Amino acid sequence: VNDAVVIGAGVAGLTAATRIAEAGGRVLVVAKGIGATHLAPGTIDVLGRVDGEPVERPLEALGRLGAGHPYARLPAGTLAAAAEWWRGRFADGPLAPYAYTGTVETSLPLPSPVGAVRRSALVPETMAAGDLRRGEPLCIVGLRPLRDFHAPYAADNLARQGYEARAKVLDLAPEPRPDVNSLGYARAFDDAAFRDRVVAELRGRLAPGESAGFPAVLGLRRPHAAWDDLERRLARRVFEIPTLPPSVPGMRVFATLRERLRRAGARVILNAIVTGAERTGDRVTGVRVKVAAREVVHRGDWIVLATGGFASGGLELDSTWVAREVALGLPVHGVPGRGEARFAPGYLDEQPMARAGIQVDDGLRPLGPDGARAAENVLVAGALLAGAEPWREGSGDGISLGTGFHAGGIVVGARSEAADMGNTSGSIEAIERSGARGAGA
Amino acid sequence: MTPLSCEVLVIGGGATGAGVAWDCALRGFDTVLVERRDLAEGTSGRFHGLLHSGARYAVKDVAAAEECIGENMVLREIAADSIEDSGGLFVTTPEDDPAYGDALVAGCGRVGIPIEEIPVAEALRREPRLNPGIQRAFAVPDAGIDAWKCVGALARGAQGHGARILRYHRVTGILRDGDRVVGAEVRDELRGEDVRIEAGFTLNASGAWAAQIAHMAGVEGVGVVPGKGIMIAMNHRLVNTVINRCTMPADGDILVPIRTVSVIGTTDVHMADPDDLPIPQDEVDQMLDDGERLVPGFRRARALRVWAGVRPLFSDAKEEVESRDVSRGHALLDHRTRDGIDGLLTITGGKWTTYRLMAEETVDAMCAQLGEERPCTTRTAKLPGSEDGSLYHLGARLKWKEGHLNDEQLVCECEIIPRGRLEDELRSRGTTNLDDIRRALRLGMGPCQGGFCIYRATGILHAVGRLSGPEANASLLGFLQERWKGVWPILYGDQLRQARLDDWIFQGVLGVQDLPGAHDPPPGRVAAGPQDADAHGEPGDEAARAKGAPSAAPGSADDEPTAAWDGVSS
Repeated sequence: VNDAVVIGAGVAGLTAATRIAEAGGRVLVVAKGIGATHLAPGTIDVLGRVDGEPVERPLEALGRLGAGHPYARLPAGTLAAAAEWWRGRFADGPLAPYAYTGTVETSLPLPSPVGAVRRSALVPETMAAGDLRRGEPLCIVGLRPLRDFHAPYAADNLARQGYEARAKVLDLAPEPRPDVNSLGYARAFDDAAFRDRVVAELRGRLAPGESAGFPAVLGLRRPHAAWDDLERRLARRVFEIPTLPPSVPGMRVFATLRERLRRAGARVILNAIVTGAERTGDRVTGVRVKVAAREVVHRGDWIVLATGGFASGGLELDSTWVAREVALGLPVHGVPGRGEARFAPGYLDEQPMARAGIQVDDGLRPLGPDGARAAENVLVAGALLAGAEPWREGSGDGISLGTGFHAGGIVVGARSEAADMGNTSGSIEAIERSGARGAGA
Repeated sequence: MTPLSCEVLVIGGGATGAGVAWDCALRGFDTVLVERRDLAEGTSGRFHGLLHSGARYAVKDVAAAEECIGENMVLREIAADSIEDSGGLFVTTPEDDPAYGDALVAGCGRVGIPIEEIPVAEALRREPRLNPGIQRAFAVPDAGIDAWKCVGALARGAQGHGARILRYHRVTGILRDGDRVVGAEVRDELRGEDVRIEAGFTLNASGAWAAQIAHMAGVEGVGVVPGKGIMIAMNHRLVNTVINRCTMPADGDILVPIRTVSVIGTTDVHMADPDDLPIPQDEVDQMLDDGERLVPGFRRARALRVWAGVRPLFSDAKEEVESRDVSRGHALLDHRTRDGIDGLLTITGGKWTTYRLMAEETVDAMCAQLGEERPCTTRTAKLPGSEDGSLYHLGARLKWKEGHLNDEQLVCECEIIPRGRLEDELRSRGTTNLDDIRRALRLGMGPCQGGFCIYRATGILHAVGRLSGPEANASLLGFLQERWKGVWPILYGDQLRQARLDDWIFQGVLGVQDLPGAHDPPPGRVAAGPQDADAHGEPGDEAARAKGAPSAAPGSADDEPTAAWDGVSS
């Protein structure tokens, strides 16, 4: 029996799984596929705006989000602890010395691929020099065969917001193809010979003191080396700007956490579809997992559900406007009823359906429509949670990291309490007997 | 006020107006066409894509059926590049009266529409997703017609014969000289200028808006009933043949495979204002349920987009009538005899399939008033792109791509749009409006609804169109809003998932909500074309390089643009 079966391999699931596994827990991760990491920009954004206003100090603004927001489920200090933990996973991870920098107290304003300002709390070191507060002149470097990044457009918008910015576009590709995507370039930037070509193209074309902003493709296996090499040889600050998916910084996140899970003895099964749960009373004792044509039941003391929202397929809405949570069939909260607005006609307006999801208590246990726990040993984390619009409010992956970390902490706390009571196998029962719940604080 | 003069002014850039302009230009008239928005943006681009065989009308409206089959055969010759010979089936669902099939066969026989009853098993073999409970099936020569491609070809053809096609020119007044109409005042929406167009003759081909234009000329009582219909594009070709329910024409009884999608239609609701076309939930549900009758599982298939179009239904009777019973035939109003006003004809009503005939009759009537002997040649004159007479084939773009695997960047994978084609379109059309580009190239019309290609296209537009950042932003945001309008009423299932992924890209990665100008009032049509773009400064050197850069599209410099890529002749 696993201590935890984690469903989903995005930031929330990987975070919970890694935290439990590195604390000695026996963990199985099952996921339909590689998670949302490969789509997201690879930054941890805690909160970019509230009520349409930009937020520079996210922790201080959390209180304005309301009691239904997933952040309201986190005990004080959780986000800071999660950030510390996150940085630690990279500092001695497989891609080290590639590191994350930043804090949850203050967001870094960084340029997006259209030259808008995105506010992120934790960012790869390779993005940090894009901090627009520095006020340094910027040269955004494009690569013509990379259609997912348009440097002149980004530079123009930055310039119109008062930042000194211009663009250079290099017609450089690792191989003579009209399209090279971000992954193709990332592999090329791992190669010193390709970097030589880039440096040769740029030499003499950058102004003194100008920082160079590249699309986030500066290496996949040795990103620190690629970035550091460019900084030294171009003799200036170099930074990455996210691209359209696939996200190379996201791949680095996935690679790091997956490798840490492997080292900690956890198992990860991809291409696995959870088709249902086995229950005993108010507990889920196992999940039915279909891999290829075979269905297997995996048992766990705890089930961490981190399958994502509508975008990831964790939630589905049918043509009669009934929503369902696909893995365990948990009640979905916040779906607008018949006659209520599901979506607003303005694309950038608040979208009611976007906030639908699983409602949980402070112990991340799912709640039924009556407000009672729908399962005692299921913990819900990440974008599946009700009450947030991560992209609109700029909380993408902040919610996932925070709630994934909290979920992992609840399992770790329960295991250690059980161990204290001399019971390492039937840990749940031990907790129940002791009356302890949600030991995440 | 800028003055223009011409022999013939055509008002309306739908199929009829463009057809009239093409007809006029072929007859040697100096012609100007004004359209308040983009070509085929009103009614013509908002239909299901069905080129009627006439069978739909064979029982109830013999005249309409005759016109349809006649024009169907003509258009296959002259507009082949816009037509897919998908064929049509009339199927008797378990809810339909099998006896209607006999009436259908008899009706088709009377007007010469080829029709053949085929065994149900054969129909199900051809279309395996069809309701297996169908009782009878009849094959007819229905087809699919690409509205934007065909209207675009008409406009290009007219331009090739000297016509001036003025998009985004909205008529604000009709010029009168006594009892004679002598042109119009129009507003150039892109430049924000008023233009006075003096015309020897004015042809009102504004369809559902015909009464409004007539009113500006002082003509009252033009009875055009706007009949709204909604349509839903499904993400796949659920069928490869046009499927009609074998009953008297009703709602939701046509499923048309067109390009990469299939379109279910439609409803019919009388509206007061042809510009206010809501998409109520019950009509969406009605279409989905109707689809379910033809193709079981329809509700579980992926719905891509919903839109409403408005038919111009002409009615002499002043009392309310069921609009499907209002004439589907067209009406040519001679305002000299009707109202004592010279120099103006109104053509309205009708069907997409009969646009050419409507144009022919209109220009004939004008010639008669002018005392000119200039015969119509549109029955045989092939449209640009259709010279070789080969019909459009769904695999055309894929076939092109297979010949250019390694020498062209693709901007849009869903619709196989190479960068060179997009750049050519931006240059030659002088538009900065990504929604116009969508109609011209199908950019952003595939499953991801622009999720990936629209950022790319904006970056290219910024460089090639020499736009400023804010102009490019307005184009990007305008596209996203326009897309959302057609998406949110049917967001469920996989398309909801796609939409949330797109939000992730646009809001989570790009942060478009924080672009300069993102929360300004909804962007209007972006103005700048190549001719006035020099005023804009450019950062960086990419844009400068792109200014004079030849297109990367192989063969595109000399060849007729659509032939190699979107036609079959490559």
